[in-house]
Amino acid sequence: MERITIDPITRLEGHGKIDIFLDAEGNVANSYFQIPELRGFERFCVGRQVEEVPILTNRICGVCPEAHHMAGAKAVDAVYHVDPPRTAKMLRELLYSAFYCTDRTTHFYALAGPDFIVGPDAPVAERNILGVIHKVGLEIGGKVIQMRKYGHATVEIIGGRKVHPCTSFPGGLTKGITKEQRKEIEDMGRWAVDFAQFSLKIFNDIVLGNKEYLDLILGDIYTHHTYYMGTVDENNKVNFYDGKVSVVDPDGKRLGKYAAHEYTDWIAEHVEPWTYLKFPYLKKVGWKGFVDGKDSGVYMATPLSRLNAADGMATPLAQAEYEKFYSALGGKPVHQRLAIHWARLIELQYAAERWVELATDPEITSDNFRTIPTEKPTEGVGIVEAPRGTLTHHYWTDERGVTTRVNLVVGTTNNYAPIQMSTNKAARSLIKKGVVVKEGLLNMIEMAFRAYDPCFGCATHTLPGQMPLEISIHDDQGNLVDVLKQNC
Amino acid sequence: MKANIILIGLGNPILGDDGVGWKVVEYLQQHSSLPTSIDIDFLALGGISLMERLIGYDQAILVDAIITGQHPIGSVLCFEVDELPNLAGGHLAAAHDTSLQVALQMGHSMDAKLPRRITIIAVEAQSVYDFSEDLTLPIKAAVPEAAKMVMTVMAESSNDPPDVAI
Repeated sequence: MERITIDPITRLEGHGKIDIFLDAEGNVANSYFQIPELRGFERFCVGRQVEEVPILTNRICGVCPEAHHMAGAKAVDAVYHVDPPRTAKMLRELLYSAFYCTDRTTHFYALAGPDFIVGPDAPVAERNILGVIHKVGLEIGGKVIQMRKYGHATVEIIGGRKVHPCTSFPGGLTKGITKEQRKEIEDMGRWAVDFAQFSLKIFNDIVLGNKEYLDLILGDIYTHHTYYMGTVDENNKVNFYDGKVSVVDPDGKRLGKYAAHEYTDWIAEHVEPWTYLKFPYLKKVGWKGFVDGKDSGVYMATPLSRLNAADGMATPLAQAEYEKFYSALGGKPVHQRLAIHWARLIELQYAAERWVELATDPEITSDNFRTIPTEKPTEGVGIVEAPRGTLTHHYWTDERGVTTRVNLVVGTTNNYAPIQMSTNKAARSLIKKGVVVKEGLLNMIEMAFRAYDPCFGCATHTLPGQMPLEISIHDDQGNLVDVLKQNC
Repeated sequence: MKANIILIGLGNPILGDDGVGWKVVEYLQQHSSLPTSIDIDFLALGGISLMERLIGYDQAILVDAIITGQHPIGSVLCFEVDELPNLAGGHLAAAHDTSLQVALQMGHSMDAKLPRRITIIAVEAQSVYDFSEDLTLPIKAAVPEAAKMVMTVMAESSNDPPDVAI
């Protein structure tokens, strides 16, 4: 059996590798997407005052600390059985909307852009944000930086710090915002709404206007029929901060909705011997292996899933894009994984509009931003939609509020099974009868999982900090016959 | 007056040896009198975010963990950012964006005022995948030497040299 290894994966947080095993004819026998686990975080959180955990958990990851802070804050509210006042919830969601704009922007221009704007077959040295700037124009770089600056500034005003907010507290926030700060946040949000429109136009012109890219998105290589998951509000519209988690089947029919504390009734985990990470699946459907279909409990939790699991977007411009999305891609649900990139931009539009909505609510500057907890702490679950998928934090404490157990189901973990299926399918479709492995080909396999924007890492920034690519090819007897290296 | 030098402890403070950059800068704060012309920060960021933080300064000193596999654990290395190989070749160095070098090129292309000199003080690390607030012993032992290296770099370029007797 011949073996090809893509190790570690490029342009991803954390480290991972893909092993592709070929048979004697040079076809793909199987592939395995492996992730080394960062060890001991849940244990690290035990024995601490529970209100400290949302501050600690936002250090898990340098990419979405705001998501961990929010899920943690909601879990701590639940531990203390306290419901924050409306102003506190709005401020948290406002911070979260600004964070979403930053995250969606960075992903599109630095990660998806190199594939779709520069092109999947372009030389590796050009497939980065500089290549995007070169192709689209210098002004793009300035706008990306401006969007990120506004997002960070809003997070800092409400969250007390850039990137790693620290103001969410049991029952609300440690501080509110002034009328001057509200105005500043509103102005930045209005700029973000225009920027989202601008980004969608680029996507429309460069990606949707290119038949080759559209065929790639709509092609079978990147398509799977699975269940979809995402949080919705009381009107079944997408919401990132609060609501119930909606689950729809591969036909788009709603299987049900669950509240945070009900997650263990819905989600179970499957173990495979070749990886430390577990594969979550829908308990009500059951684990049938890495297979598509209504009888398989495999589900996806991504921007595309959120759109599929909802009845629409709660803001007008995003709703218009939502309708255009399903019209262009053949109706709901959309199964093509590369459409996640488009869905991500629709989320950017929604987050920017929601930013302005919240910033202009008359109660946003109210002093009523905290309810003091009075109940004895016990156990609580908090769920938010992290950019990469539904994020669940579950804490247990003793009567002093000291943690005795912590369980996290992070965004990407939800998608481990579908990512495994997508990389396998892409490998099978793109490597046939010993076709010579070339850069573009391997990148297209990587595109299968990059669409999910998986994040298995943390905020480790150990230098040199890059992720070299190494491909080991073994013959059908397991002998190493060649090693292809890139950036090593 | 805005400071013209920024000193940054980089890494994840709860991920074992990855937090050595923070420890070195904390050590300096405790054991030396740093001039007011220096801004200090602690970051768990990379790529574009790190580049953005450097805008407006003449000089930056970054303290971080490094895994080269070519030096004994606990070795203290000092080099300029240009000497850090951009092995990512357009791929990710940090988070979900790009390498610091590509981010710096991006900043320069937009005429951002970026430091003329970016020096990296790095400690060869080993345990960066286990959650812990503590450094392993060889890395902990290297903290004073790394701190001294930071002071030497600052003394080279400052008209207001810090007290190097740490």
